Amino acid sequence: MTIATDDALAAFATTATSAVAQCAGLDPRGRARCLAEAGLIGVLAAEASGGLALGLDHAVPVLHAAGAGLLGYPLLESMLLAAALGERPEAARIVLGDATATIAWSGGAQLEGGLLSGTAGRAPMADSADLVLVRLADGAALVDATGPGVIIDAGDGLDLEAAECRVILSGATPLALLDGDAMDAILQGARLLWAAAIGGAVETCLAAAVAHTSTRVQFGKALVSFQSLRHAMARQKLAAEHIGAAIARSLMHPDDRLARAAAFAAATRFGASAVESALQLHGGMGFTWDIPMHRHLRRIRAWDAQGDAPGLHRRLAADLLAANA
Amino acid sequence: MQPGLSGEAFRAHVLAWLAANVPAGIRIDQPGYQEPDLEACRAFEAALHKGGLAGITWPVEYGGHGLTIREHLIANQEIGRRGLPESINSLGKELAGPIILAIGNEEQKLRLLPPLLEMKQIWCQGFSEPGAGSDLAGLRTRATRDGDHWRINGRKIWTSASPWADRCLLLARTGALEDRHKGLALFAMRMDAPGVTVQPIRQIDGSTDFAEVILEDVPVDAADALGAPDEGWGAAVRVLSIERATNRMYRAWRFENELSHLMRACRSDATLAGLIGSGEYHRRLAEIMVDIEIIKGYVEPTVERLAEGEAIGDRGSLMKLHWSEAHQRFAVLAMELLDQAPPGAGDEVAAARARFQSTYLRGRAETIYAGTTEVQLGIIADRMLKLPRER
Repeated sequence: MTIATDDALAAFATTATSAVAQCAGLDPRGRARCLAEAGLIGVLAAEASGGLALGLDHAVPVLHAAGAGLLGYPLLESMLLAAALGERPEAARIVLGDATATIAWSGGAQLEGGLLSGTAGRAPMADSADLVLVRLADGAALVDATGPGVIIDAGDGLDLEAAECRVILSGATPLALLDGDAMDAILQGARLLWAAAIGGAVETCLAAAVAHTSTRVQFGKALVSFQSLRHAMARQKLAAEHIGAAIARSLMHPDDRLARAAAFAAATRFGASAVESALQLHGGMGFTWDIPMHRHLRRIRAWDAQGDAPGLHRRLAADLLAANA
Repeated sequence: MQPGLSGEAFRAHVLAWLAANVPAGIRIDQPGYQEPDLEACRAFEAALHKGGLAGITWPVEYGGHGLTIREHLIANQEIGRRGLPESINSLGKELAGPIILAIGNEEQKLRLLPPLLEMKQIWCQGFSEPGAGSDLAGLRTRATRDGDHWRINGRKIWTSASPWADRCLLLARTGALEDRHKGLALFAMRMDAPGVTVQPIRQIDGSTDFAEVILEDVPVDAADALGAPDEGWGAAVRVLSIERATNRMYRAWRFENELSHLMRACRSDATLAGLIGSGEYHRRLAEIMVDIEIIKGYVEPTVERLAEGEAIGDRGSLMKLHWSEAHQRFAVLAMELLDQAPPGAGDEVAAARARFQSTYLRGRAETIYAGTTEVQLGIIADRMLKLPRER
């Protein structure tokens, strides 16, 4: 993998920030078009499918902007799925924004006699998707979300921007199958990109906390002048930098699975507490529906579950024990 | 060492050197470990330098090896992984030396730097005072010009390594106390000069690695004044901001050695093996692994930036905050696990307990020295976030 220049990455960040802002006023299909026109969905996808065939280092600033801007679109899923599908026709449809796609991160399906059955969960926005990837015991299967044998119903996750859905399969026909390595590559990529999105969310919440405490006056002084609050914000900054540091190192060592796992684990752990702290600094306002702190917090909790952070920690510990047997 | 080695060829040299030259019994994670005394540490560190594993980035003319910070990282990764003794001259190698390189004159570099690397001169750091700890700008130790030398009067405290140091990097005031950061000068003071009294202070782990240093009319040659009389503070801050990000670069890999040692000790005892295998501790163990990866995440990209000649600003504060708190979390976990061993547990558990009791107690200093946690948070709030002050 070549390491991109800072200028090239900054250009991706700027484009993504502007596209994410535009998406706020659009429906899911409009968002797909908007993100596709900005060239974002195809960052990782093959050139033959209309993609840019770039590395994950270019996707990081895009997901950072998506997290910062509360994007309501399964962009992470679309980018990784389009890349995994290579030159299959579905890849081009996703890249161009003609089809919306998502991934059911939990549960999965069995493939018997060429037909899929089972229940998958944690599929962001599957209710408005054309294509859904569900996991198999070894690999994954792509299905038509509106096809026969596929029922999408509301999930019970916390995220409000890209609500999680359940995918119930009973005799659905797969459009495409991915092998175990391809699914693993999706998971590895997702861990890095969730970390990037959480990093973006933390920075947005920190900026809001700085703005709020700089203007809100209590005890005759701006809140920002109280050292305990300054230190709380310094810790939020520290969380954002931890996430950035772990991502940077993972990009330096793309094959180091521990480094990749650490980026995701660091993001869910430090990211969630940083947003909780930013919420706290908003006082009563932080507890309201209208102040978006809770939206960021909800998403981080959802991503934590989608990436199975608890299971990942168990596997890391098991690796540690095995290495010191 | 072959001159000009770099990258993985340099790592091969480091691995071969360590395989051939690490004395028996000094690796703290290995059976048969015996704490090395001062002279053993001095000899081993001198050998490390001779073997090309210390003074890596310093120019050859001052005793260094003239390589890059990338090779410095490689050597530190391998040193850290092996649980070797902590440097007894880290203040010389990582603080005094870089400051002399930055603001010393040619004569000082040639005279002071080679003996430091050869471990003929061990350095301590005379910054903190009884009345000036976190607020160094309030320091009162005074340097007055007296003909061809300076006279120093004052007190320094928490002066690590001073009980055995040969030189002290001393920060003293040449101007008025009201000038705060102005009028602070740096000196390479000899610890055997008349008027220097070292009163060791016992630490929480029972050792006496630091002391109060009383300075009564101590003569310091003009030739040992480092930089201009008002250059001290600026130089100290500049060097400290880089040092905070790069000192003891082996840290993440040494923490890995500690974690691995802890796991092996736990596995040697049925009760502890049951605990770590049961899942009860899996989340905390995994979080320690992630903490270590984050330290590497600060170190390796920072090394790349420095190697490319970029500035790193106040990033050292982020790293220092993280590693110090992460290490304390680790020590708490290690103690908690080892304290659950039955009374009849074997030697491996006893050795690990001795190591991690010390890690736990000494670790309390890690959030205090080199700028307390609160000072680092202040730096992040003021300089990185640029939070407004009271208007």
